[in-house]
Amino acid sequence: MKDYKLEIWATLICFIIVAFIGGFFSSFVVILNETFFNQVPTPEGLVDFYGETMFVIKEHLTVMGFPLHYFLLVMLSWIGVTVVGAIWCFIMDGIEERQRA
Amino acid sequence: MEPRGEVFVLGLVLSIIVLVISVLISVWARRLTRNLGDYYVAGRSIGAINNGLAMVSLALSLTTFIGLTALIIEGVYIAVAVYASFTAAFIGLMILAAPYLRRHKSFTTMAFISERYDSKSLRFISVIVMMIVSVLYLAGNLKGIGIVFYFLLGVPEVVGIVVGGLVVTLYVTLGGMYGVTYNQTFQTIVLLFCLMFPVAMVLRTLGTAGWFFPPLGYGDLVPEMIEFVPHYFWAMLEHPITYIAIFLGSFFGIIGLPHFVMRFFTVRDAKEARWSTVLCVFLVGLVNTTVYATGFAAVYFMQTTAAGVDLTPAAYDYMVFILVEALAGEGWLALAVAGSVAAGLSTVSGLLMIMGAGLIHDLYGELKPEVDDEKKLKLSYLAMFLVGVFVIIFSLNPPEFILKAIMWAFGIAAAGLGVPIVLGIWWKRTNKYGVGVGMVVGSLIGFAGWIMIDYMGMNPVDIPFPFFNTYLYGPMGWIKVTVLAVCFSFILTVVVSWLTPPPPEDLQRQVDVMHGWPDYDEKRYNGKGLPIAVIVISVFLLWFMTTLYDVFPK
Repeated sequence: MKDYKLEIWATLICFIIVAFIGGFFSSFVVILNETFFNQVPTPEGLVDFYGETMFVIKEHLTVMGFPLHYFLLVMLSWIGVTVVGAIWCFIMDGIEERQRA
Repeated sequence: MEPRGEVFVLGLVLSIIVLVISVLISVWARRLTRNLGDYYVAGRSIGAINNGLAMVSLALSLTTFIGLTALIIEGVYIAVAVYASFTAAFIGLMILAAPYLRRHKSFTTMAFISERYDSKSLRFISVIVMMIVSVLYLAGNLKGIGIVFYFLLGVPEVVGIVVGGLVVTLYVTLGGMYGVTYNQTFQTIVLLFCLMFPVAMVLRTLGTAGWFFPPLGYGDLVPEMIEFVPHYFWAMLEHPITYIAIFLGSFFGIIGLPHFVMRFFTVRDAKEARWSTVLCVFLVGLVNTTVYATGFAAVYFMQTTAAGVDLTPAAYDYMVFILVEALAGEGWLALAVAGSVAAGLSTVSGLLMIMGAGLIHDLYGELKPEVDDEKKLKLSYLAMFLVGVFVIIFSLNPPEFILKAIMWAFGIAAAGLGVPIVLGIWWKRTNKYGVGVGMVVGSLIGFAGWIMIDYMGMNPVDIPFPFFNTYLYGPMGWIKVTVLAVCFSFILTVVVSWLTPPPPEDLQRQVDVMHGWPDYDEKRYNGKGLPIAVIVISVFLLWFMTTLYDVFPK
């Protein structure tokens, strides 16, 4: 039962992380923006508030030249999910070995 | 958009080399095929690296190579979000389905659904859903091959569709799954080189400091890009439900797309299935991030060098070639053309394989169980060829914008096949009644949505049902239909399964076997947490979809 619970929890946690960082990451960018900055996301309203540059958190907050949220989207949906997937694989390899034993 | 005006000899030569090598690989692989298991699942002998590389080329179709660039030009941030979700979806596929499907030892998705739920009817329904999804997916990709030929030779797209279609039909028919696998591995290697290097050269010409690593090499052009296109990096122009619909379509769609799932039936064991996916997602991410750079460069190019040139939206599908030719030169263009031919062939071959297998193994084999494997193998060759010819004819009138059809295919696959697979693996109580209702309603919502909104060009506000008028007005047809289809499929499957008798113990036992347990325990994968969570989340998403109109006024 211990391995069963480990499988369930590892799968649940890894799936939630992957769904968040790769799947609907951008939803949270929008929702958090609305919550904390009370913005109505229409093009005109956004330009009025943020100016033409439209940085999400703070103007000119960049990583390697990219706006932070875009950089995070690109990296998390690639390297981030690969690492989470590899961790899940190691956990499942361990469970499989114990199942065989 | 006009073709180049003269035959592009170097590009043509490289493309022909790719085509010839593909056929030769299949001729060689034919010797490995001795029985039906070899033909459909390569004798379940494929290793993790080989399978991972093959999956990459399956994922990186021509829609990635040329369609995504066009989508980025049209939709900027949202297009990147679509492919970011598609990349991550491979890990979702692995976590929720891949190793478990391998342990089930089916040949196809349709066989899995039929055997897990002990229902012939579900097998026939899933074959129909598979055919709809595969044809939608194929039409976009064959059109892409037509685009490449049109650009190369100036011949109508129809010629490319017929020639490319016949070549791929030939090598799939000849080589079976062994041929398809080794071809896809070869095509992945071609594709990686033929995309990365030309894009690096494009970025170098644009003057970026990090041109040698295209995925992250264009950051120093961002300030200028923001001046040209202020909303390029802007996530807030979309309602959050848009991204959630993309997540539902990509994560459950990829599980429902039978040509992806079929790859897991070919590997040696569950461990190889897992690690092949990790390799695949790393390489798919590498290529996708390079394509984001291509899209960025295309928009930048249109605002600078090509400013004032009248490029119609129809020309966006050619933008990769225009960009490479203008900024990198003909040698690199030839590489890009060969890479795009490889990308088109690999995906088409995987789809033909699953369609042939579905018709012979799942349909004919079920109707005529007395037919022996040798005859089925011979019929498989014939079916594969006929399917190829049928798809070529269907693709002669392909969709205008090649990525559109594929996004619909993802939505229908998610509701029709993805949901029954996921619940069949993780909830023992799922039964054939629930799956039957969920599958039929979910895939019908998706298919009807495609017919009305995309094929017939109707605005949801004009659809003659009060529900659509009240809740679904606005331009985002795919978003709404995908959320509706997937959520209804989940809700109906769970509710109907709960209200009808549980499946017999031998079917529930399959779930423990899929998860690798040597013994049976009734309590495993049988709790109330998962079904309750599924219903709560689905209802929440359906409600959330209606809030769309508080944000974007009618």
